[in-house]
Amino acid sequence: MTVGSQVKSCFSTIKSAEASLSLLAKKTQQDQSRQAFTQSAQLISEIKEDLKKQVIQLAKEEPQYK
Amino acid sequence: MMPEWLTIIARSFILVSVLFVITKWLGKKQMSELNIFEYISGIVLGGIVAIHSIDAQINFIYGLLAIFVWFLVPFTIEQISLKSKTFRDWTQGKSTIFIQDGKIMEDNLKKEGYSSDDLLEKLRANDVFLASDVEFAVLEPSGSLSILPKRENQPLTPKDIGLKTAPQKEPQTVVMDGKVLLEPLTNMSLNTNWLETELDKMNVSIENVFLAQADTDGQLTIDLYDDKLTVAEATEKPLLLASLKKCQADLELFALATENEETKEMYQRNSEKVQKAIDLITPYLG
Repeated sequence: MTVGSQVKSCFSTIKSAEASLSLLAKKTQQDQSRQAFTQSAQLISEIKEDLKKQVIQLAKEEPQYK
Repeated sequence: MMPEWLTIIARSFILVSVLFVITKWLGKKQMSELNIFEYISGIVLGGIVAIHSIDAQINFIYGLLAIFVWFLVPFTIEQISLKSKTFRDWTQGKSTIFIQDGKIMEDNLKKEGYSSDDLLEKLRANDVFLASDVEFAVLEPSGSLSILPKRENQPLTPKDIGLKTAPQKEPQTVVMDGKVLLEPLTNMSLNTNWLETELDKMNVSIENVFLAQADTDGQLTIDLYDDKLTVAEATEKPLLLASLKKCQADLELFALATENEETKEMYQRNSEKVQKAIDLITPYLG
């Protein structure tokens, strides 16, 4: 695996984790746990943005593996 | 004139219903919680009912009168006791302190007619085998001994070790005997669609579900009629935690691998963020 594809796979894991967290935040009955899930979903979404940029960057650097 | 056997049947039916209503009225109390007076009046009520259902010669009205009195007096006493503390102390008795500040009160033991053996027996019933483990013990009016162990002998709670735990609400039973219960579902603001999806994920049909319960976070656990089938354990939360941990490890790896300082910094920052997110939700995923 090239660095590009590794980062890409990490990016998709992060995306799925964010979705799971948002889902849990929606489903839970407790304000406290909803808050925790929402907060961490927020954190993960920030990471997602950073990684997205990195994925694009790497795609530019490794065009042969696209 | 009715034949005697018919009278007995009729009387029995009436008395059973009367007794049923009365016991409902006197409230939910266990036998052991009854005080002496309630205990006796219960026996007397039973006796009256027995006599009057068998003996057709006695005037039935007399029986009902007696039942009424034996019901009314305990009922009134209970109502007054609810209102007045002094009256309650008098009718139901006060609790007696047996152990205070870790010291056995011998005078109180004697007053209640408890020998040291009786005390030890009561302590053992509370899983205490060493009298010195007890900080405070009190004999309740019902005859049971309540114990406060010394601080170091109390069971360890999450609070003691400073562990953060998620609040928990009661789980809701959403399927019983293969039938969907709508009210609990709406209580959790879920619907039958959600249930079908969850069951689909577990690969079971609703007819095969004997019992299904949803916890605070909407996690479904089920039991099937067919005990030979194994149900997949709930994996959603552990999986989420595991994938987050994997991401964190990946990010750290990327940070090590890259030579670009800016990118390295970005990976490290994000790895820390994942750790923060993991710390945030760990108590809730347990």
